[in-house]
Amino acid sequence: MIALQMEFYKCKRRWLWLPPLLMLAAQMLWGLWSYIDMDARALSQGWADILYSFPLLNAMMTPVVAAVLASRIADIEHKGQTLKLLQTVQSAGSVFDAKFLCAGAYMTVFVALQLATIVIFGVLRGFAGTPPWSRLLEYTVGTLLTTLTILLFQLVLSLLLSNQMIGMIAGLIGALLGLFSLFFPPSFQRFFIWAYYAVLYNTVMDWNETTRIVTYRFTGFAWDGVIGILLFFAAIYIIGRRLFIKKEV
Amino acid sequence: MLIRSIRAEYRKLRRSYIWLALLIMPVMSAGFGTFNYLNNLGMLTQQWYSLWTQHALFYCTLFAPALTGVYCAYLCRLEHLNHNWNTVMTQPIPIPTIVLAKLTVVSGLTALTQLFIGALFLLSGKLAGLTAPIPTALPLWLLRGWWSLTTEAALLLFLALAIRSFAIPVGAGILGGFCGIAALVKGFGIYFPFSLLPLSMCSHNPSDSMECSTAAFVISSTGFFLFGYLLCVLWKKHRDTQAG
Repeated sequence: MIALQMEFYKCKRRWLWLPPLLMLAAQMLWGLWSYIDMDARALSQGWADILYSFPLLNAMMTPVVAAVLASRIADIEHKGQTLKLLQTVQSAGSVFDAKFLCAGAYMTVFVALQLATIVIFGVLRGFAGTPPWSRLLEYTVGTLLTTLTILLFQLVLSLLLSNQMIGMIAGLIGALLGLFSLFFPPSFQRFFIWAYYAVLYNTVMDWNETTRIVTYRFTGFAWDGVIGILLFFAAIYIIGRRLFIKKEV
Repeated sequence: MLIRSIRAEYRKLRRSYIWLALLIMPVMSAGFGTFNYLNNLGMLTQQWYSLWTQHALFYCTLFAPALTGVYCAYLCRLEHLNHNWNTVMTQPIPIPTIVLAKLTVVSGLTALTQLFIGALFLLSGKLAGLTAPIPTALPLWLLRGWWSLTTEAALLLFLALAIRSFAIPVGAGILGGFCGIAALVKGFGIYFPFSLLPLSMCSHNPSDSMECSTAAFVISSTGFFLFGYLLCVLWKKHRDTQAG
């Protein structure tokens, strides 16, 4: 607990909340802009529509923001060469856990704010029906798990390699993989953590080529995908933590 | 003095793995661009010009600004580490020279990136089986893109100098890239530094000429370059050096 408190102390006045907040602002502008003009038909499928577009925006943006956040939280120790110092007073494992929980808290708040934005916007805009809470819950579970797994991966990279360039490049590549994973065949998607925004979709878009009408509707949620991303999370956590503990500081 | 400073900056890049970024990012960008082109052959019928829109779209929005951010961040990273700013600032080198040397090196790296992107464009065009003659404007696109990237670099270098974080210039580059596209679409391309790249590389309407006159482009980009450069110099001159 003290270790976690220390991490938040280190974040003081470093404006770490700014990148997630900027991302949220960009998503609101970009995502919600397209919902200004809506007819009755569009409003009737509003919830499915908005839950289709936000994972796409997340897949494009969160890997980069996760890379920035992880790099800033990890790099502070590389810069001050303080890992040596830290490990005389606490175990390497607790440093790792505290850093992840600290960074994870920022991302969790971001996901919560994003959910609130979606719900408030949907209600104000007059999407048909009450908010589909179970769908929104599935969306939140999927988004949170994928985001935290990506964050964990970035944190491991940033902590293990003092060269922060590698982490940033990984974040950029992740953003592209996330975006392009929508075109991957479903079985192939499951090999990439960045593709789980696409795996954990609970909506589909039907595009009728002859009438040129797009229909959004809900489908089943891939609970096996949740297991997949949890396995990824566990694997990255166990391997990354062990490597960090064994790392010569 | 300048040449020796530049040489020193190049020396800092040794064993930095920066070539890794220089190789991977353009390859990914070109790969995705070509993939997108091949998937939309029905709509994209102008051969090389259509391929260019796909390549330039990813490159100008995401990769090039991010890569420039990486270059800027890396060139300042060594100084931010181990109290090295104290060493740099106490050398008998004028601050404008230090900043100019850094900018020259970043500019050199972006020039290499531009050449590489050009080569990849030709290669992926050939692999995609394009038969039409290669666009004669390609060298012009690359040259103008290089100067736009140098302009961006001046602004991102300021962030890299002022904020002791590797991630900030990269993130700012990406944010700038996205906003740049938005500004360009809205028609304010010439007034926003990050729009100059897609504008000058004709990512939306590949033709020889830009959407604005060459003079306007040169004035705007040089203005932003000087603004960024002066910002860097003034910051370093007047801000107390914080090394750590």
